[in-house]
Amino acid sequence: MAEPFRFFTETGLTIHTNFKADSLKSLLYGLKKVSGSSIFYHVHHALLRRHFATSDQMNDFARWVLVHLSQASLAERLSAVDPMGCKSVREAREQLIDIVKEYVGIGELFFRVSEGSEFHFLQMHSMVLPLKYKADDLESFYKGLRNASLGTFFYHLIEAPIRLGKQSNDFSEWLSHSLNEDDLADEIARLNPYVYNLWELKAEILQRVRRRLKTLHTS
Amino acid sequence: MRELDRYTPIVGKAEIAEIKHLAKNLRGIRVHHINSTKEGGGVAEILNRMVPLMQSLGINATWDTVDGNTRFFDVTKMFHNAMHGQEIKWKPEYADVLLETNLKNEAILNDPADVTVIHDPQPLPLVTFRDKKKRPFWLWRCHIDMSEADYHFWAALRKYVEEFDGSIFHMPNYTKGLGIPQYIVPPSIDPLSDKNKELTPTEINDTVNRLGIDPEKPYVLQVSRFDRFKDPVGVIKAFKMVQKWQDAQLVLAGGGAADDPEGAAVLEEVREVANNDPNIHILDLPPTSHFEINALQRGARVIVQKSLREGFGLVVTEAMWKGKPVVGGATGGITTQIIQNISGFLVHTIEGTAFHIRQLLANQGLAERLGTAAKEFARSNFLLPSHLKAWLLLLETKQHQNEKISFLK
Repeated sequence: MAEPFRFFTETGLTIHTNFKADSLKSLLYGLKKVSGSSIFYHVHHALLRRHFATSDQMNDFARWVLVHLSQASLAERLSAVDPMGCKSVREAREQLIDIVKEYVGIGELFFRVSEGSEFHFLQMHSMVLPLKYKADDLESFYKGLRNASLGTFFYHLIEAPIRLGKQSNDFSEWLSHSLNEDDLADEIARLNPYVYNLWELKAEILQRVRRRLKTLHTS
Repeated sequence: MRELDRYTPIVGKAEIAEIKHLAKNLRGIRVHHINSTKEGGGVAEILNRMVPLMQSLGINATWDTVDGNTRFFDVTKMFHNAMHGQEIKWKPEYADVLLETNLKNEAILNDPADVTVIHDPQPLPLVTFRDKKKRPFWLWRCHIDMSEADYHFWAALRKYVEEFDGSIFHMPNYTKGLGIPQYIVPPSIDPLSDKNKELTPTEINDTVNRLGIDPEKPYVLQVSRFDRFKDPVGVIKAFKMVQKWQDAQLVLAGGGAADDPEGAAVLEEVREVANNDPNIHILDLPPTSHFEINALQRGARVIVQKSLREGFGLVVTEAMWKGKPVVGGATGGITTQIIQNISGFLVHTIEGTAFHIRQLLANQGLAERLGTAAKEFARSNFLLPSHLKAWLLLLETKQHQNEKISFLK
């Protein structure tokens, strides 16, 4: 008997870190000093807050640099930091620091934004809730996914793997270890959440599970 | 539960189930809200909705107000204005009036409460009389923009605020560098209220017609008080640029000019710049015109909020919730709500405003794309159920202080 998959969902409260930046220099300082939770919030969690915006201006740093500093090329480079390409929050932080550092290095004059337009470093007090239902086969897994909120997808695809330093996401791990569905697990693991919005991502996953169910039924 | 269930078609089953789940964990918790008035103003409006909703979910929520004499309310008005950056000469006796009135209201704290929530500055000194056994957890909800607060007035309040277990602000730039947790919880709109409920095409058409606007010709709308910070004159100038290319109407719907000398002066200026153009409609509506504003917003092709300075900008939220593309000044909470070319356009100039209005009037596909994204953004972030959920999470922090991630039952 396969170990059941327990669905969770994530929500939370945003907290100010008391760090803010009014220029690229102070942004760089903040990037070095703030907690990993704050980097996670601005890089990863932005997906949950503005998920319909797809990858364009996806992380908060890129968006601030574009909207308030009008530095389009830096914004473009910051947008290209792929959260799924980073094994840890530390790696994402290092990439961001390198990009901003290099840009500050080549520029001659950088503006300060006016009061009220600063970048505020925030972090999240995440709260994770267990959902009522669980899955013990592919059929009930599909049903669970269909009823799940976007917070569930964020938790199992992003929060849990990064927090626990896992190689893969919760869905793929369970499909592979408990159901021996290695191909399906691999297909889901290869989906990069940051090039979709969360609805699209949900639809992509559902479509793959549905297709597999169909194959199982016909064979 | 029935009250909350009315929101299911709007935010979906999963969201409502999550709220109920959170509420179940908190069932029976005693939450005591305290502010300074039961009527009028945004705080009373929110508590009038939030307290019954919490009660319907099994939370023992109550709401009281502090009583004070005219002197107290004069002084708190001064505090309010000074918090908004108005120059007012500080006198130490103001702090005494605040403290003495709250001392007279100490009995308000007689009954025990698990969580005491103080709204805005007026009842802040009550925290001085805190009994840690009877009232272990205190939160301060600040509803006003204090980013330009007067130093002396803020110093008199800050000592009380630092006594709380947590503070809650609408936006990050309202925070004050406090030593206690500063939570960011945006305000919300109620999708079932008169101002935001669904209307039929006939209701929209009839109302727009009644207000003297041609329902057949597309119109651009700005809803705001006649206030220089909302730049109504700039909107007219932008519209005049648009008129060279598009046959459209402009509607400036506002109010407050009758009892505000500055508002009357701005309204006069606006009329002068409009120069009796039959395609520019200036409506000075009474503050109770929620249904009319709703119809105007729903009938508009493009909505503008060309503020030069703005708080959160709930009027932008209202427009977004109605699926309208918004051209908004890049200031305050408007920058939180509008994502450039995704859920609207952010602008800095009259020319930029004119350009994007033109674009949206001409390109229906673009307008629909932005409007759809805007509606979804409002749905997931700024509707009453999200606000209620945030409150439930704030109540949870009592049991989960200093944690970064909490696993709930």
